Amino acid sequence: MVFRFFQPFLIAAIFVTTVDANSINPSVISAPGYGELAYKLPEIGSYQLPPLGEASNGEVLIAEGEQRTLYELFNGKYVLLAFIYSTCSDVNGCPLTSHVFYKIKSAMQRDQVLASRLKLISLSFDPEVDTPSVMGLYGNNFRYAGSAGEWQFVTTASQQSLDPILKSYNQVILRETDSSGRTHVGYSHVLRVFLIDPEKNIRNIYSVDFLHQDLIINDLKTILQQAQRSGETIKLATASQQTSRLSKPGDNKLGYELSDYVTDSQDLELRKGEKADLLSIANNPPLGLPAIPVPVDNPLSREKIELGRKLFYDRRLSLNDTFSCAMCHVPDQGFTSNELAMAVGIEGRSVRRNSPSVYNSAYSKLLFHDGREENLEQQAWGPLLANNEMANPSIGYVLNKIRQIDDYRGLFEAAFDGRSVSMETLGMALASYQRALVSADSPFDRWRYAGDETALSESAKRGFEIFTGKAGCVACHSIGERSALFMDDQLHNTGIGYRESMGFSPDKQPVTVAPGISIEIDRAIIDQVGEKPPTDVGRYEVTQNPHDRWKYKTPSLRNVDLTAPYMHNGSLSTLHEVVDFYDQGGVPNELLDPLIRPLGLSSQERSDLVDFMRSLTGSNVDTLVADAFNAPIGDVGEGDPSWVHGSEVEVR
Amino acid sequence: MRLFKKKPAKSIALASALAIGATLFGATLSLQADETCQSPYMAKIVGQEDFVYVWTLGIEGMGDGQDKLVTVDVNPKSANYGKVVDSLSIGGRNEAHHSGFTDDRRYLWAGGLDTNKLFIFDVHSDPAKPTLHKVVTDFVEKSGGVVGPHTTYALPGRIMITGLSNNKDHGGRTALVEYTNEGEYIATHWMPTDQNLRGAEKTGKYADGYSYDVRVLPRRNIMLTSSFTGWSNYMMDFGKMLQDKQAMKRFGNTVVLWDLHSKKPTKVFDVPGAPLEIRCAWQPDHNWCVTTTALTSKIWLIYEDQQGEWQAEAVADVGDASKVPLPVDISISSDDSRLWVNTFMDGKTRLFDMTNPHKPKQVYEKVIGRQVNMASSSWDSTRIYYTSSLLANWDKKGEDNEQYFKSYVWNGEQLVEKFAIDFKALKLGRAHQMRFGAYSLYGQVRPEDRQTSIAGLDTTGK
Repeated sequence: MVFRFFQPFLIAAIFVTTVDANSINPSVISAPGYGELAYKLPEIGSYQLPPLGEASNGEVLIAEGEQRTLYELFNGKYVLLAFIYSTCSDVNGCPLTSHVFYKIKSAMQRDQVLASRLKLISLSFDPEVDTPSVMGLYGNNFRYAGSAGEWQFVTTASQQSLDPILKSYNQVILRETDSSGRTHVGYSHVLRVFLIDPEKNIRNIYSVDFLHQDLIINDLKTILQQAQRSGETIKLATASQQTSRLSKPGDNKLGYELSDYVTDSQDLELRKGEKADLLSIANNPPLGLPAIPVPVDNPLSREKIELGRKLFYDRRLSLNDTFSCAMCHVPDQGFTSNELAMAVGIEGRSVRRNSPSVYNSAYSKLLFHDGREENLEQQAWGPLLANNEMANPSIGYVLNKIRQIDDYRGLFEAAFDGRSVSMETLGMALASYQRALVSADSPFDRWRYAGDETALSESAKRGFEIFTGKAGCVACHSIGERSALFMDDQLHNTGIGYRESMGFSPDKQPVTVAPGISIEIDRAIIDQVGEKPPTDVGRYEVTQNPHDRWKYKTPSLRNVDLTAPYMHNGSLSTLHEVVDFYDQGGVPNELLDPLIRPLGLSSQERSDLVDFMRSLTGSNVDTLVADAFNAPIGDVGEGDPSWVHGSEVEVR
Repeated sequence: MRLFKKKPAKSIALASALAIGATLFGATLSLQADETCQSPYMAKIVGQEDFVYVWTLGIEGMGDGQDKLVTVDVNPKSANYGKVVDSLSIGGRNEAHHSGFTDDRRYLWAGGLDTNKLFIFDVHSDPAKPTLHKVVTDFVEKSGGVVGPHTTYALPGRIMITGLSNNKDHGGRTALVEYTNEGEYIATHWMPTDQNLRGAEKTGKYADGYSYDVRVLPRRNIMLTSSFTGWSNYMMDFGKMLQDKQAMKRFGNTVVLWDLHSKKPTKVFDVPGAPLEIRCAWQPDHNWCVTTTALTSKIWLIYEDQQGEWQAEAVADVGDASKVPLPVDISISSDDSRLWVNTFMDGKTRLFDMTNPHKPKQVYEKVIGRQVNMASSSWDSTRIYYTSSLLANWDKKGEDNEQYFKSYVWNGEQLVEKFAIDFKALKLGRAHQMRFGAYSLYGQVRPEDRQTSIAGLDTTGK
């Protein structure tokens, strides 16, 4: 074979590492197209060949003076289109293409489908040399492939008619020159052969490694089969698909610390759910909950809830379009985040506290861990404007952005009697959705408020006795006669915050590096790559009252089994750890809440207490999560404010 | 007048079998050289590269604070050798990370792990001065919720992009996404999960659905993907994350084997501890690829056994795992005999003898800086470049946060530094991934050579 490398312009680049042509190893590897495929092809019809864009048209010559368009040549058939030139001699270039086409043409003798449905076209990109008659002669070389089927050898009238075709097929041709300045010694060109369907969609592109007749025929038959089945759902391998409880974490890491951990991951493509009647749920809270308090000036409506839901999952409501409310309040993670002790915001900025659950937030008189906000309408603006959360620079910025997003057009006006988006209506809409996420009718509720003795396990019943008796949990996580919120709308110092602010970090920190593998890492290593953690003094930061240092709001225990990790800083991973913490009397400090004291619980009592808390999961959590899965997720699309990026670039 | 220093017809590049994929129709643009981590489909630079493009993260409060593509002149024959010759700011901090060329090497696709934008640079019109050709801003929407475009890997006429996360929970479950070279979305291939293995065999205990890097061995029709972690972790302060027990459970523990042609997963291997970069052997009889696990500090071999079955095997430790050296970028030599492994925490580059890939042996190490991440080697292994940044919020803090581009020569026994560029002093930002550029790829002549030619003509004229 002939190696005609080296147009002069390459020399500057190659002389350092090149060797003399005479010393080249003669056993240059031929492309796969010259031999048998070294692997088994996937079953015909078992895979997809999605369209790669439209195959362009262009004017070509099929014979002297006979001009046609490429589309005329395609003629409603499947087409293999190759760009070649007749004088090319690189064995893994044009000769490879023609060899593979020859094999396919030969196969047409035996395969009627192939012969009738597929057409081969070799188009020259050297119109100066490759006149129609030259192409005819070139094509004549392959006549022994037999008469069945069609293989057309075409060229163009001129470089001018060729150029738009090359451009549209993204074919860059570098004309080689030799050292004496002759330009017509060859071309450099990335080999690409196009498989085109009758709708003129490019369905595959073959380069040297893939240009093999078996593979091309496999692809063609796959497309043919799928075209015949059009309208049917193509059966893809989805073995072991199973329906799952939607409220369980999609990426369940339960038991990760243990060496026998096995994954239990849900598929995001299958993450779908049905819309729920949230208004009805909010108006008729499940067993165990009182009627929800609704502000007089923001009565619930279907439109507001729907709009609030759309806003809640819209990532465009952040400075750089990456953060919605739901990125921290994840539906299948208890509307909090199971994956983080403390949240991270835009650009990965550290947030000091654990994301609280949104379940039953309708009943909270104090919002945020330090209770600094008083209703959901106002609370909504906190994360939207916080520099380390959604980082919007101003209220006006948010409102203006929403006004510019097409899919919000008319929605505020419809929900708020003609009022458009404003600081007030945005808060009201978000509040309405969150207010509707009420969840109860748990095994505990059915036992306690419906008298169903079988609803609660014996251990949970014993746990209830401890909860309300020996452990005294109920003092803060209150339970009423007809309903229970499991909170007191108060703030308490349990010592967790004190320990974080005033305690000393150990010299070594255990870090889980893989399932069942933990190593002790030196504090110095952690400090090298970590910012100094910000301080957190709790309620004091709101009141400036020194007595309020390290006080945090009592969270509701409803759905607590779904909302790990626990405490305001997510420092306790499991309910067992929480019970152990309280059993030990919290962390002693001068402001420790007097209700916190060593409890002296037995192992059985601690276990019963956990079982009780696990009985507080509402019966409608799957319904609410399914509804959340049904909500649209707002990401930047065409026409959105962030769509435009600079003035000099084509933006898509 | 003599334009060229060597008679062209006498020279030829050594053709390696695997480089077939990069063969150019009708001849020449070279089969070898350049970075050994490039797609085999791609045209490669023969010999001396002219430029290294450094995808650089902007730092808030430093210079213009934006991400940029920084062009460094690395041709020793250039008057600008060792200098930054261009810096192209692209707006915002996007968590610039990895980049990759299209198969014709005319465009460089660079991803932003945070904002999910894909910046497509024209590197062929003027290799010394790339321009921003196009920005894909709707990657998440088009892909059906894939977040964190990481590896941009050339396949024929298209780009395969690995995602790291998703828009549902910012966790690690994600997908591969295909785009055409022109920047049009083609398809999303979700990683296999327990709920839907998509036809793959779960060979061990894990099928986490995570992704990170992608490489292919076309002659075996296989594609491999590794697994890292989701947005919440890769964007989080590293020190904070190490202390977050929940976050530390969210790392990938799998390598997935795919049928390259059908893009369907066939096997999920347990490779615990965040397997990151994948490099496949180049030699025609070497049916193996290699990866390193960041958290468990091991080299893993993914290989085809004598029965034709693909297997995963831990084959070596990298440093002392208890000190969390954190293996990051790796670079394989074109003859597959050696592997550079960088360890971020101790700033070392380590050379492993891979003659027996089942028993790699460390044979050399050198501290490159207080932190080191990427390594990029010329095909002949004589030149190797290093950069410093891992992720914006994972880089070391304070004095330890060196940001540099360093050029070394490997003389067979040791690395010798040729030059270094301080990216902080120049107010550029965090230096991350490197890709090579050369005039010769596009039929262009270096300006110096053009001048030589003109000078020659002038002389003749006199």
